[in-house]
Amino acid sequence: MRKAFTSTLALGTLWVATFISQGSAFASGGFSPDASSVNQQSHSLWIYSWIAAGVVGVFTAILIIWPVFFHRKKNEDFPRQTQYNVPVEIAYTIIPFIIVAVLFFYTAKAETKITHVDKSPATHSIHVNAIQWSWQFTYDDAANKPTVTGTPEQIPVLVLPQGQKVRFTINSNDVDHGFWIPEFMIQIQALPGVENHLEFTANKIGEFPGRCNILCGRAHSQMLFKVKVVSPADYQTYINTVKVA
Amino acid sequence: MTTFAEPTAALSSSYAAGKTRKESKGRLFVKWVTSTDHKTIGYMYLITSFTWFIIAGILALALRSELAAPGLQFFSMEQYNQIFTMHGTIMLLMFATPLFVGFANVIMPLQIGAADVAFPRLNMFSYWMYLFGGLMAFAGFLSPGGAASFGWTAYAPLSNSQYSPGVGGDLWIIGLALSGIGTILSGVNFITTIFTMRAPGMTMFRMSIFTWNALLTSILVLLAFPPLAAAFLGLESDRLFGSHLFDPANGGAMLWQHLFWFFGHPEVYILALPFFGIATEILPVFSRKPVFGYKGLIAATIAISALSVAVWAHHMFASGQVLLPFFSFMTFLIGVPTGVKFFNWIGTMWRGALTFETPMLFIVGFLITFLFGGLTGIILASPPMDFAVSASYFVVAHFHYVLFGTVVFAMFGGFYFWWPKMTGHMLNDRLGKIHFWTLFFGFHLTFLIQHWLGIKGFPRRYADYLPTDGFTWMNQVSTVGSVLLALSMLPFFVNVWISRNSPKVTVDDPWGYGASLEWATSCPPPRHNFLSMPRIRSERPAFDLHHPNVHTEKLH
Repeated sequence: MRKAFTSTLALGTLWVATFISQGSAFASGGFSPDASSVNQQSHSLWIYSWIAAGVVGVFTAILIIWPVFFHRKKNEDFPRQTQYNVPVEIAYTIIPFIIVAVLFFYTAKAETKITHVDKSPATHSIHVNAIQWSWQFTYDDAANKPTVTGTPEQIPVLVLPQGQKVRFTINSNDVDHGFWIPEFMIQIQALPGVENHLEFTANKIGEFPGRCNILCGRAHSQMLFKVKVVSPADYQTYINTVKVA
Repeated sequence: MTTFAEPTAALSSSYAAGKTRKESKGRLFVKWVTSTDHKTIGYMYLITSFTWFIIAGILALALRSELAAPGLQFFSMEQYNQIFTMHGTIMLLMFATPLFVGFANVIMPLQIGAADVAFPRLNMFSYWMYLFGGLMAFAGFLSPGGAASFGWTAYAPLSNSQYSPGVGGDLWIIGLALSGIGTILSGVNFITTIFTMRAPGMTMFRMSIFTWNALLTSILVLLAFPPLAAAFLGLESDRLFGSHLFDPANGGAMLWQHLFWFFGHPEVYILALPFFGIATEILPVFSRKPVFGYKGLIAATIAISALSVAVWAHHMFASGQVLLPFFSFMTFLIGVPTGVKFFNWIGTMWRGALTFETPMLFIVGFLITFLFGGLTGIILASPPMDFAVSASYFVVAHFHYVLFGTVVFAMFGGFYFWWPKMTGHMLNDRLGKIHFWTLFFGFHLTFLIQHWLGIKGFPRRYADYLPTDGFTWMNQVSTVGSVLLALSMLPFFVNVWISRNSPKVTVDDPWGYGASLEWATSCPPPRHNFLSMPRIRSERPAFDLHHPNVHTEKLH
């Protein structure tokens, strides 16, 4: 039995190792620590929560596997018919409570910052309008407020200035949609009849996929967009020269 | 004891007479469809829901094969949407929920020493509502526009007549409303039965955990299903009569999400609790010990039920329209009693005398699988992390770990465990073990990888993806896993088929250490369940009867 337990443990360790090495194949837990101001809040929470979940998970899994190997039936004698152990029961009620209280503390801290929207007018403001099955981006801080409209075949590009905060106003023309930029660890629903607001800063120059993630009908999977983060100077040039479509 | 002796003598003779006559198939059919016996109705529920499980499983294979490569190979986007809509709908509302009704019907009256449920005819009526409601929703596939394709969540306004004009949507809404009424009536029936029909000596705190969970599940049914029925009827009135209940101009988009998830989250526990109950029945029997922390476990289940109606908006974190800290904290809190349950299960096995017959194997598989689903649930309970992966395959993976891990693993555990009680024959243990291991590996191969798919940015309900997305190999691993998962059903079918010829079970308790009352009557039980009633002096009446000299340590 001891041998079987060791080999199961080895197999389990291999499993966890695969999990972790796979995780690190995508940079640090699958997400960038600083691609946007949201990542800067959420990434450490993501990493530490997984460490906490890993510790709790491995501990509980060993507690499950242990009796499976070492408390098997050996003879016809009945085991002690233990039914209650009050100190142990109190401990396993209070300890999880402490764990979730700590998790909630850091959650509340991060979410307050992520969902914060300034009262003062923003320097950069972009209106995101979701339509079946593409996106319209209106750059409100440019003089002529140009609107870029995509189609499922010609996906639209959302251009953002690097290192500068942008305020998004998000809504929908028809049905519920989801405005999701996986690289930036952020999403918010685009709803008809509702205006949602979001503020964040993109920090990394580059192109990142954006996808609609709330089912919106037939061509839901074609409702893509591209996020292109450029230098503030290039951003100004872009919004002043982009053709209104 | 004499109060029970007289009627049972008459019963046993009529029962014996019924057994000797070989019944024609037609007579058997009429007997079943006109039955008011909770066991027969329960078997009908189990057979029907398991059939739906196979159908929805085939739909899942269709989804997995479409996703095995970028581009559209087998289905159009519209067909793909219909398939995942019906996969989700069938699995949740036509398989898992009625599977609870099936198990509760067969087992719960036996466990409290009742002759039947409180309203036997209402019970059969519930079944017909369920059967025809389900068939109606599924019949959408035969309609010109195809089945409903707005997802099992049916978010308005996508589900209104403007965006989903087909009759498939109407069949779906009314079919589910009807079958929902069946579920509500079952809830009424079970609550009444448990409160009023317990045998003498069967106090509330001597009821087995499965019965406790059936009670709490039924209460949740009464809280969750009426709002759903109301939402469905409102939606149909929008579609048919042009009312404006879910008009986005009046805040209809959020109203639907709130109403739906006010049903949808308790529904998760309606699916989970009975199967936690099955796990709690099986673990002590194969550990040869009583349930550890019996009263604490009941308290934890009550806490879960209470909290489950205050966490619905965690499905809507990304809507931008809900009070994040409240719903996040409540969701974290529900992790505490769930953790307590885990330690109750571990404590039951701890220093026991464990053997690994197939039912026990499935329950250990459930513990490992559900553990991982629970941990990713804690991750998702935190809005900042939810914003990163909500509505992605990470969530798909999470809820399959939770629901498949609970419902399917515990269902098979329950089938192997109670098969002798239901049919009088044992299922083969070797085939059962093959079944378990292929199911276990097939499941984890299918769903573990989907966590990374979600982290990499693959949204749920996508018919297609780009070759450049980097999703291809992960989707292929998942598809291969799903085939293995499907193949794992074969040993089970063979097992069921050959079990007809296995020797008849002649004892009340073939496992030898059964605790609850169903193990104190024959396999299968007579028409009104008990020929004699053992003394009920603890929560283990059958165990006390069969092992009178074993001392259970009490709480002092």
